[in-house]
Amino acid sequence: MTLFHFGNCFALAYFPYFITYKCSGLSEYNAFWRCVQAGATYLFVQLCKMLFLATFFPTWEGGAGAYDFVGEFMKSTVDLADLLGLHLVMSRNAGKGEYKIMVAAMGWATAELVMSRFLPLWVGARGIEFDWKYIQMSFDSNISLVHYIAMAAVVWMFTRYDLPKTFRLPVTVLLALCVYKAFLI
Amino acid sequence: MGNKPGGEWVVCGQWLRVVTAEHLVIYCTPTTIAKMFEEASEVFDNMFKSSFPLTFIVFIPAVLILVSPLPAEAAHEFTVYRMQQYDLQGQPYGTRNAILNTEARTVEAEVLSRRCVIMRLADFSYDKYQKALRQSAGAVVIILPKNMSAMPQDIVQQFMELEPEMLAMETIVPVYFAEEDDELLSIYTQTLTSSSSQGSLSAAEVLLHTATANGFQMVTSGAQSKAISDWAITSLEGRLTGVGGEDLPTIVVVAHYDTFGVAPWLSYGADSNGSGVSMLLELARLFSKLYTYKRTHAAYNLLFFVSGGGKFNYQGTKRWLEDNLDHTDSSLLQDNVAFVLCLDTLGNGDSLYLHVSKPPKEGTPQYSLLKELETVVASQHPEVKFSMVHKKINLADDMLAWEHERFGIRRLPAFTLSHLPSHRSAQRSSIMDVRSVSPSSRHGAGEPPAGPHVDVSKLSRNAKVVAEALARVIYNLTEKVQEEHLSAVVDWLTAQPRAAQLVDKDSSIVSTLEYHLGRYLKDVKRHYVKADKRDPEFVFYDQLKQTMNAYRVKPAIFDLLLALCIAAYLGMMYLAIQNFGLLYSVVRRITQPKAKVH
Repeated sequence: MTLFHFGNCFALAYFPYFITYKCSGLSEYNAFWRCVQAGATYLFVQLCKMLFLATFFPTWEGGAGAYDFVGEFMKSTVDLADLLGLHLVMSRNAGKGEYKIMVAAMGWATAELVMSRFLPLWVGARGIEFDWKYIQMSFDSNISLVHYIAMAAVVWMFTRYDLPKTFRLPVTVLLALCVYKAFLI
Repeated sequence: MGNKPGGEWVVCGQWLRVVTAEHLVIYCTPTTIAKMFEEASEVFDNMFKSSFPLTFIVFIPAVLILVSPLPAEAAHEFTVYRMQQYDLQGQPYGTRNAILNTEARTVEAEVLSRRCVIMRLADFSYDKYQKALRQSAGAVVIILPKNMSAMPQDIVQQFMELEPEMLAMETIVPVYFAEEDDELLSIYTQTLTSSSSQGSLSAAEVLLHTATANGFQMVTSGAQSKAISDWAITSLEGRLTGVGGEDLPTIVVVAHYDTFGVAPWLSYGADSNGSGVSMLLELARLFSKLYTYKRTHAAYNLLFFVSGGGKFNYQGTKRWLEDNLDHTDSSLLQDNVAFVLCLDTLGNGDSLYLHVSKPPKEGTPQYSLLKELETVVASQHPEVKFSMVHKKINLADDMLAWEHERFGIRRLPAFTLSHLPSHRSAQRSSIMDVRSVSPSSRHGAGEPPAGPHVDVSKLSRNAKVVAEALARVIYNLTEKVQEEHLSAVVDWLTAQPRAAQLVDKDSSIVSTLEYHLGRYLKDVKRHYVKADKRDPEFVFYDQLKQTMNAYRVKPAIFDLLLALCIAAYLGMMYLAIQNFGLLYSVVRRITQPKAKVH
C-alpha cells in the first residue's frame, strides 16, 4: 500500500534468488552472462509458445461450465517447449558439469520473475489499497525458483546416458508432472 | 573451491560437489550479512565497470518509472454529496472545504482530529456532530439509508430541524452525505468495531489490533471548491391574453421551481416546491384549454411565472420585477394587476393557509378570491381547514418569508397559498422532502410515513380548490383537475435535485418547463438573474458532488512487522542454503542402507 510495502514484496521475491545466486557459487564462475543468456532463451521460448498457441488453438466458445479437456490438454502439451528450452540452454550453454543445471535454472527463473511478476507488483503494491495477493505472488515466485531448479535437474538426468535403468521411470513421470502441472491443478 | 586471494572469505554450500565426489571435505565458514552486502556492491561495481550502457538500460528507466503517477484501485468507490456552500447577501453559509484524504473513524473513537468521522443517520445527533467538529475532525461523512421512509418519525423530524442549524454554523470542515449500500455498511461496521474497541482491550490485544487491523482511507477525487462565476438563474414566464379590450386586468400565478436542502444534490424538494410547480402547470393547461374556445375566453390576462432562486430569497422574482417595472416601458405588470397568487408547498396536509401581508379590502379582486376560496372549501371539500394568515413584511430580516412579499414590496397585491402555517417550517428546506413512499413500506394502515412528501390525491384536491376558486373569480365555469397529469409532473420534477446551484440556463429542467409552458401559453420568455459583480446578493460554490474512494489500508506498523517477518524468513532461507550440505548428508545417511543393499 505504499512504496514500503512494495519494497517488502520486492525483497520477498528477489532476495531468495540473490541468495541462491551467491551461495551456490555461481558468481565464482562468472556465470552472470550465462544466466542472462538463459533468460533470453526463456523469452524466445515463451514467444514461440504464444505464437503457436495463438495460431493453432481457436478461442474456446463452449458453455461456461464445461471444461474443454482436450483443448486444455493440447495447450499444456505446448509447455513441453519449456523443457526443450531448458535442455537447449543446458546443452549449448556452458558450464562445467553440474553447474549447467544451476545456471540454466537461475536464468530461466529470473527471467520468469522479471517478466511475469514485476509489473503487477509495481502497479499494485504501490497503491494505497492493501491486498494480500501481492505477498502471495512474491511467495509464489520463491516456490517457482525451487520448481525450476528441480525441473532443470530432472531434464538433465533424463539426458544422461549413464542413468541406471530403474531410475528412468520415476524421472519420466516427474517430467510429465512438470509439464502438465497446470492442467492437473 | 578454495580461498579467494587475500583470504577474505570462503564460499560454502558445496552441495553440487557432494553429488559427484563424496570424499571431499566441505568448507563451511559462515559469512555475515554485512559481507553479503559487500558482495552485492561488488556485483554492482562489476556491472558498472564492465558494461556502462547496462547502467543506463537498468537505472534510467527505473528512475523514470519511479516518478510516474500511480493509478489507483480502491476497495469501494461511491458518490458523495457535499453540504451546501453559498454566500447570501455577503453572509457565508455552510461548509467551506471540499477535498479530503484522511483515515476513517466513527464518533466513538477517542482521537478524532484530522480523521474522517463517519456517522449513520440512525445514530445521528447534534451533540455527536458538534463533538466531531470540536475535536477538529478532518471531515464528516453522514450515511443516509436507502429507504428514507423506513426511518422512524422522530429521527426524520430531528434531522429536518437540524439541517438549518448545521448550515448556519460556518464550518471549515467538509461535510458529505452518501447513500448507504452493503459495501458502505460493511465499511462502517468495520470502522465502528475498530474505533470503539480502542479503550476496552488489554495492552497486548491493542498492540496486535493496531498492527493488523484494517483501516480505511477516504479520498475524494475532485479539486477544492471555488466560486462559480457567472451562474445564471433562469426563470420562465408565459401568458394567456384575455379577450375584450386594451386595458384588461391581469392575474399573475407564480411558483418557484428550485429546491433547498442541506446537500444540493440531495434536494429533491417534492413538496417544496415540486407541488407548487406542478399545480401551476396544471392551471396553465386548464386555462389554456378554456381560453381556446371563444365562449370561455375571459376578460382577464393570465401571466404565469416559474421563478428560479426562490430558496435564496426569491432572486428570480426580484430581478423580474425590477426589469418589468423599472426598465421596460410597458408591461402587464405595470398596468392593471388584479392580484398575484404564489403557490408554495401544497402537496400534503389537510389545511390551506392564505398568507397575506395586508388583509384585502372589500370590493377588490383579492377579496373576491379570498371569499371564493372559502366558499369552494366549505361546499366541496369540507375536510379542509382554510384560514388567512396575516404577517407584515419585516424588511429587517435577512430572508423574506414568502414569495408574495417580493410583490408586496413593489406595491402589487399578492398572497401565497400553502398548507404550512408558518414560513419557518423545516419542511421547506430539507433533503427529507422526497417524492413519496410505496404503500408496502408503511408501518400500519392509516399511519403516515416519516418525513415530508407529496400525496398526489391531496395535491390534486388542492389544485381543484385553486382552479375552482380562480375560475369563479374569472367566470362561472369549472374545468376538472387531472390527477394523472399532476402525478406525472410531480414524478418528473422530483426525480432530480433542483437546487438553485444545479439548474443552469441550459439544464433540461428549464427547457422542459419552457416546452411545457409553451404548449399552453403564448409568449413564453426566459428571464435571467445574475448576481451583481461588485456587491453580489448571492455567490454559489461548486464541487457539490464528488466521488469518494475508500481504500483499505493497513497501519504503518504492519509494514514494519511484515518487513521483520520477511527478514527473518530470508535469514532462515540463507542459513538453509548455506547448510544445505548438512541436510543432504542427513538424507543420504537415511537412504544409505537401501542403496547399499542395491
